[in-house]
Amino acid sequence: MTASKAEKKFNFGEAYQELEQIIGWFEREEVDLDEGLKKFERGLALAQKCKERLKEVENKVVEIKAKFGEIDGAANE
Amino acid sequence: MNVFSVSQFVEFLNAALTTAVFPEGLAIEGEVAEYRVSQDKWIWFLLKDENSVVSCFATVWQLKTPLEDGMQIRIFGYPKIHAKSGKFSVTVERVELMGEGALRRAFELLKKKLAAEGLFAIERKRPLPRFPESVGLIASRESAAYSDFLRILGGRWGGLKIHSAHVQVQGRDAVADIVGAFKYFNAHPGLADVLVLTRGGGSLEDLQAFNSEEVVRAVFGSAIPVVVGVGHERDETLADYAADLRASTPTHAAELLAPHRREVAAFVDGGVERMHGALRGAVGGRAAAIDGMARQIEAHARRRIDDFRHLLLDFARHFAAFRTSNASRLAQGAALASRLSSSASFWAGRFRTAIEAQERLLANVDPRRILSRGYALVRAGGKIVKSAQAVDIGQTVDIQLHQGRIMSKVTEKL
Repeated sequence: MTASKAEKKFNFGEAYQELEQIIGWFEREEVDLDEGLKKFERGLALAQKCKERLKEVENKVVEIKAKFGEIDGAANE
Repeated sequence: MNVFSVSQFVEFLNAALTTAVFPEGLAIEGEVAEYRVSQDKWIWFLLKDENSVVSCFATVWQLKTPLEDGMQIRIFGYPKIHAKSGKFSVTVERVELMGEGALRRAFELLKKKLAAEGLFAIERKRPLPRFPESVGLIASRESAAYSDFLRILGGRWGGLKIHSAHVQVQGRDAVADIVGAFKYFNAHPGLADVLVLTRGGGSLEDLQAFNSEEVVRAVFGSAIPVVVGVGHERDETLADYAADLRASTPTHAAELLAPHRREVAAFVDGGVERMHGALRGAVGGRAAAIDGMARQIEAHARRRIDDFRHLLLDFARHFAAFRTSNASRLAQGAALASRLSSSASFWAGRFRTAIEAQERLLANVDPRRILSRGYALVRAGGKIVKSAQAVDIGQTVDIQLHQGRIMSKVTEKL
């Protein structure tokens, strides 16, 4: 199945959220230089990954072959 | 002639009506009257026109379309004589609403009922994933809505996996198709983070499936969050109300589903700038702190140096004072000494003169000087002989002359 492959894939939402938190930290805190350098490095890596992901232009459309009108809830579940 | 028992007759008639007379079922159009529901299970109403009336029966779980007296409807079902009562009625399996008025009324009735049940409650709405990875698209692949949605979505965001469920969005099969698609996605939760139900605009009749209780409940009951985007701006359906997020059009649904990559890129770039700025500020701040500390240390040190310098100056001053006071004391000593020495030499001179006089005096009385003039010293027995009486005849006397000595014997005394 493709599910396990998809799980290992870079998750844009998670990376973006972490990046937001890091940026928020920089704006909120009295920046400690050592901590700040570490976070900056992490933030840069995340930003890089996010930008990579943004370069993906195509969306892949998969057509489901099922006949939906015949799906019986009880039997299918 | 056949003779039936009553039961046989009713049975025969019902069989004949359904299999022989109306093998494909029947459809009747008319106006609803005397609509009632008994025991929350059985629905009874009359279908009438100007001249006639027919009794209709249905169960609440089969007949989802809300009805009300005065509505024009088309019923689908089969005729039946009820064994217990001997009454004739049409058992209704499905109803179609006739005309805008009936549809509007049914819409209002169902909306009220489902709202009361809480299907449209704001607090029930779930948030959509901010950045979906996969989308379940429930739409007709032949519709403009389908292609519009994909086009707009592709213009905003990439890398998505879109699972497309092709369904009829109007007509007989629409409700079953749409409900089936919701069941399918919910039975395969890995396929989609979010579901999108969409179709283009249409009349109230065209949009009937989206106003059906089954579809509304399918939207509401989905474990996966749902965006519904139906019709044009003005169109509203009950499926919209039940959706977690309501879009006004298929295009709008795509806009709500994913951000524009440009905005996200701008945020990422801006974020890096802001981090960098904050870090630069921190470095600057630390440099300033170090400068400040250095200044403090310097000021402190300068204070210490000043203190020391003062101490040194004090010492120097004291030392100088000490030296000055000592110098005067030394000078006094020196004066004293010189006074002493001058008086000493004075006295020494006087002593010297006195001594020289004494020396001269002594020289004058020196017996050796008298001897040189011809005198002699006579000693007898070591003693100076001053009288002839002091010696005996025959005695040896020692006569000291100016130069040398003579030993002589006394021979005579006079």
